[in-house]
Amino acid sequence: MALPITLERVSYRYAPNTTPALSDINMVLQSGTCCVILGPTGSGKSTLLHLLAGVLAKHYPESVGEGVLTIGEHRYTPFPEGILFPTVALALQDHYVQISGIRDTTRKEIELTLETLGRDPLRERASIDRLLQQLGIAHLAERKPTALSGGETQRVALATILIANPEIVLLDEPATALDYGAQSRLKLLLQSLRGTSSVVFTDTRIDLPLDVADRFIVLHAGRIQFDGNRRGFLEQLPDLGDLLPVQDWQEAIHEVKGRQDSPLRQRILRAAGLP
Amino acid sequence: MVPDLRPKLAFVLLLSVCAFVLSWQVLTLLIALVLLLPFVLPTYHPASPRARRLFLRFVLFSVALSGAIITLNGWMIQSGEPVDTILGITLYSGGLLFGIQTASRLVLLSFSVLLFFTSTPIPVCINALQQSGLSRTVVLMLLLTLHFLDTLPERIDRIFVAQEARGAPVRAGFVSRTKAFFSILSPLLLSSMAESVDRGVALELRGFLLETAPSFHTLPPAKPPSPVTVLLLTASVLIVVFSLARWLFP
Repeated sequence: MALPITLERVSYRYAPNTTPALSDINMVLQSGTCCVILGPTGSGKSTLLHLLAGVLAKHYPESVGEGVLTIGEHRYTPFPEGILFPTVALALQDHYVQISGIRDTTRKEIELTLETLGRDPLRERASIDRLLQQLGIAHLAERKPTALSGGETQRVALATILIANPEIVLLDEPATALDYGAQSRLKLLLQSLRGTSSVVFTDTRIDLPLDVADRFIVLHAGRIQFDGNRRGFLEQLPDLGDLLPVQDWQEAIHEVKGRQDSPLRQRILRAAGLP
Repeated sequence: MVPDLRPKLAFVLLLSVCAFVLSWQVLTLLIALVLLLPFVLPTYHPASPRARRLFLRFVLFSVALSGAIITLNGWMIQSGEPVDTILGITLYSGGLLFGIQTASRLVLLSFSVLLFFTSTPIPVCINALQQSGLSRTVVLMLLLTLHFLDTLPERIDRIFVAQEARGAPVRAGFVSRTKAFFSILSPLLLSSMAESVDRGVALELRGFLLETAPSFHTLPPAKPPSPVTVLLLTASVLIVVFSLARWLFP
């Protein structure tokens, strides 16, 4: 069951008297939303995800936070004291560290999450198989999880958190190491989560957000520069050029401004529901 | 099914006790036994080709170190009869015997510990600890430490390859290898520590420290120790008692 997320006047500094990593963030994400957070490096994208997962207050005790975070019916002032797993699951940007290394096979690595939650892996064998299929890693089930390629490890890391059926899924650049086929599977998976989980992910590339996100937030220096739906975002895309410095976004902006017949422009217009 | 590591641990304990109390003649026999075990008993087979290489390399290193310890003691401790003069250095029987006793103790101690770790994969070790009801925080710390040690040689090798790709003569000889090693040591340790912190957070994000996890409380009760474990532990205790008695009532 997906949960809504609300942030009211949230600010965060990693230490007192330092530049805020997040400033005056206000946003309401309805349950079941698939939201992408975009922005240049250091804009606060990962900090926001860590905040939502409950990592910051516990692992940065000297940090300073203000505001109110509400997840479902739980209200935190300012932030949760502990990790919110399995209600909220976060897949880290460095997917290699998400593999424990204490299990011999990918299947057992996924089962470890169920065991920590006190669930019986044998009863959920079918769920594991389905997830492996959805992520296109069924053939890796009996392989050693620490000896996989970058893209394979990324998908296994994703499986280790999704098996918990979290109500909120946070993904920090989930498509970075994925090839085209794996990205397509990830899109389908995120689309299948719609309604059952709220999804918030960060990305620097254009494909995944364009195909799955229905809410777009652009951060810059810890502040929200844009917050709106897909149509609003794509209409404003030409004005967001400085905040989306990655090459394929630049190409998209260039094509939106220029060639009328460009396939990418057509795709963006279709995605935005514009004529 | 988590394998029972208690017989192996009891064997390591017995060998350690023996190393402290028995004479070098018996220790030499035990060292030979420890060297044979990986080839004879499947339980003690090296867990991976890397573990096998590590074990053999350590054996060679120990032979060289033992030779050095025996020679140094034979030269420095001038008790007993002179045995021989090599390159102008006279070796004495008392010093040589002391050196042999010390070297055999060290070798047996290190071989027995190494035998356990080369034949027990880290995941098995961690699972066994977790299954035995050890606190999850302690298990997590052990996991991170062992993972750090396990990946260290691989990381060093990766950095060396990267340096070689840049044309640095890091493997040209012993001196350049040592110099290169010291130059990478601090960034290597710092990056490894940073990664350990990240790995800890990542495992926490998978519920690894959830105290409320029912599995934490519903672990199967520990099985009684096997007859082999009991036998090995009894032998260790008897050896200690016998040695104490001999020391108190000579």
